[in-house]
Amino acid sequence: MGWSRARVIPGATAIRRVRPVLGLCRASPGLYRALPGPARPYRVVPVPRCDPVPAQVIPGHEARSVESLCWAAGDRLFGAGLGGDITEYDLSGLSAARGVDGGGGPIWSMVANSTGTQLAIGCEDGSVKIFQVVPGGIQFERNLDRRKGRVLCLSWHPSDTHIVAGSIDFFRVIDVTSGTSCPRSSPIPSPGTAKRECVVWAIALLSSGTVVSADSFGRVQFWDWEQGTLAESHTVSTSAVLSLAVAQEDSIIVGTSTGATYHLQLLPVRLGGLEKRWVRTKPFQFHSHDVRAVAHSPTALISGGLDAQLVIRPLMEKVQKKSYDAVLRKFTFPHRRLVSCARKARLLLFQFSQYLELWRLGSTEETGKDGEVLPLCRMPEHLVQLKSKGPEHIYSSCVSPCGTWLGYSTASRFQLYRVHCDGDGVSLRKVPKVPKLLPPAYQLQFSADSESLFVASARGSVHVFQLLEPGGCKHLHTLRPPSGCSEAVYLLAPSADGHWLAAVSGDWAIHIYNLKCFKHHCVVPTYDCAVSAIAIHPSTNNLVIAYSDQQLFEFSIPEKQYTSWSRTVQSRGLHRAWLERDSPITHITFNPKNPSHILLHDTYLLCVLDKSLPLPDDSALLMNQSTLKQLPETARKRQLHAFKICKKFQPLLFMDLLDKNCLVVVERPIMDFKTQLPLPVQQKKFGT
Amino acid sequence: MARRQKAKAAAAGKRKALAALPSPASSSEDEAPEEVSFGVAREAAEAERKLVGEAARRHRELLKEKRRRHQELFAEQKKRRLLPEAVLQELQELQELQDVSARPAEQAAADDPVTLGEELEAEAVELEQGQAQRQGQAEVQEKKGKRSKGARTKGNYVAVCLKDHSATGLHQQLARDFLNAQLYGPHTNRVPANEFFSLANKRGPVKKAAIHFVDKSWGEYRKSQSRYCFLPLWLKVHLNKSRVSMLEHPGL
Repeated sequence: MGWSRARVIPGATAIRRVRPVLGLCRASPGLYRALPGPARPYRVVPVPRCDPVPAQVIPGHEARSVESLCWAAGDRLFGAGLGGDITEYDLSGLSAARGVDGGGGPIWSMVANSTGTQLAIGCEDGSVKIFQVVPGGIQFERNLDRRKGRVLCLSWHPSDTHIVAGSIDFFRVIDVTSGTSCPRSSPIPSPGTAKRECVVWAIALLSSGTVVSADSFGRVQFWDWEQGTLAESHTVSTSAVLSLAVAQEDSIIVGTSTGATYHLQLLPVRLGGLEKRWVRTKPFQFHSHDVRAVAHSPTALISGGLDAQLVIRPLMEKVQKKSYDAVLRKFTFPHRRLVSCARKARLLLFQFSQYLELWRLGSTEETGKDGEVLPLCRMPEHLVQLKSKGPEHIYSSCVSPCGTWLGYSTASRFQLYRVHCDGDGVSLRKVPKVPKLLPPAYQLQFSADSESLFVASARGSVHVFQLLEPGGCKHLHTLRPPSGCSEAVYLLAPSADGHWLAAVSGDWAIHIYNLKCFKHHCVVPTYDCAVSAIAIHPSTNNLVIAYSDQQLFEFSIPEKQYTSWSRTVQSRGLHRAWLERDSPITHITFNPKNPSHILLHDTYLLCVLDKSLPLPDDSALLMNQSTLKQLPETARKRQLHAFKICKKFQPLLFMDLLDKNCLVVVERPIMDFKTQLPLPVQQKKFGT
Repeated sequence: MARRQKAKAAAAGKRKALAALPSPASSSEDEAPEEVSFGVAREAAEAERKLVGEAARRHRELLKEKRRRHQELFAEQKKRRLLPEAVLQELQELQELQDVSARPAEQAAADDPVTLGEELEAEAVELEQGQAQRQGQAEVQEKKGKRSKGARTKGNYVAVCLKDHSATGLHQQLARDFLNAQLYGPHTNRVPANEFFSLANKRGPVKKAAIHFVDKSWGEYRKSQSRYCFLPLWLKVHLNKSRVSMLEHPGL
């Protein structure tokens, strides 16, 4: 497979506004991690066995800033922020469900007790309030003792009898039953001659009565709560320690402003001795910017930084089996589709959080050899920027294959536009009287002939709209799974002939509907993993499914069973290097000229899967394109296998096949958005 | 009035008592200190104490007055929030016209939906920490206010209904400012992105140039200024130089 590349849109690299990770919270069942950004979408990342499962995103809101999240009462997610509201999130509907005003000004921290029945919030006015988690929402229970000074961090005692509240220059321990603070509120002295105040960014209360505080002077201090005295003090950094997480009473993770995370452990002073002391054991430098959130699972350290990276690092001494699961994982890019392509019109639609950009691709008349960069005869042009009204973020968007229809949806609205390209100018006209549907629309997809629009909605239903000339929209039908579903549909794939539609809902079931008679056709056999991408082959009507554990399946829709190729793949098993990849497949497309080709891509590679070639076994090299190029023709035939992988373009946001041997690839270099992040702390390196 | 007179009289009386004491400067150094009777001394001390007490009381009253005035001002500003509705209701009357035109602060507030309390605070907390976010937010709010719906024009003013912003906006802004000051304040040792990411280039096995993230707005002001200032200045300097050199070396 050779390449001659015409340079694609230079502005395409300015595609994504990166959302720094500000908070993490771990559910005690150990399954879900939720990461808020500052007023940006949340990502609920189910992480069983540390697989890179595609995240579910709750759309964000410009005015809503989130400082802390917590899980309560099992699997209910609550968030609180500087707006002063406590919001409960509907995870099946992926939206903010209920909001209650905290009543104390901006909320700096929120923690749930060990049973998940009560929430404690720390407010700007210095009060700590307790809320009761009831089936319908939350209810204010009472105010605990209030002192002057904003409460920046809170922690419950494991027995739920006391709460420790960290503030500026002091922290206090509050007895929950009586609501009063212990008479001694421990002041925290600033080191040396520092004139600025000491801000306690994170605090934890251990069952032994030790209070662990992390402050802005870079110290992690251990206090005896009974006496109010300082037991141990560790200066881990010159800049502030921003986050702290405790696991099993003897292991603490702290994250600092410089991007470093440290592991502190309670170890015996002498082997086998009884006296134990806290020791800083491991330093990690995974982030370039502040580490604002850390979580500690029994075996791993999870940190999220302002450089928009989520890092999962298993701690070696806690991992039983040294397998691929015990490997460092870094997630930066969302596993969602943010780019749509209008193939016939050669347009690309980029989805940002508050606006959409429509670009026309350039073209070239020249041909060249493999590896050459061809000059463009027509430059790519930025056609139009469509701003979304209101503070809500755009959740999904799509452009029709002919390039004349454009739609986007936010948490409360759905808009459809007609695009007219006449000569040089482009005009957008809003389609009036779009049928009202229950927002939000989780996924939008136009049919291949641009005559229908499929809207993925809540409760597993898909709405089918008919697009009318010159600019209208009519609701045709709503497709629902026969057995009902509580989750929303998040992936859609229509077939090229307009006969079938595949829809994946949040419970990972894939339903296939017949669009000619609007009936449910069949369900793909369930697999215990989330679906990351689906697509229907244009000629054979086989549904190709990529799961997040890197498995690939091909399901024949007319025959309602897996194809023979798929069974071969399953019996042979996929190559080990393929299964050990970090990022899931986000898009699948096909080559109209060669029906046995499947094109896939994930964040770091794009692959042309040739079904007519043999599958590689574990002993063969998976990424063998470069070696194949150097071999003579006969030797090449022996070593050819089905996976043709190209890792030239990274990180990839999108890849699609246009007509006439043309492939469009959208790349988002990491350095391009690093400038837009908040400033990092200077790191003095020797010799610079 | 009567109180003031009494106070004056009392002060005058005390001054006389104090004057009765011999001033230390008048006596010469050789003489023994003058004998002062106990009663006089006691009166003098009492008078002095009373004076100081009066001064302290006056100071306290002054502070009380100030505080009371501030409270009234705040209460009035709170009430002012309700005024737009009153303005809209009684729009026809000339009196309201005068009120609106006489309160430029009100107009400014109507232009961008920011609470009046926040305005005061914005003056008081005039932070210059390069927070483009906050400025961006204010700009967005201004724009929102300018294209607000329901604006009616009569005469030479525009009455706009303020969105019901309670103090949460102000609190949120204060909280954000605190966070920014703590994390990005002057003591935090932050470094621009250029320098930070150039370290890798300098330390790697192949040394490369520093990364220079180009912001097109850099230097625009200087460039625009230099167009007008630089050339005349350069000419002036060089013409003077050549003139001086010609004077010194007339033969050249």
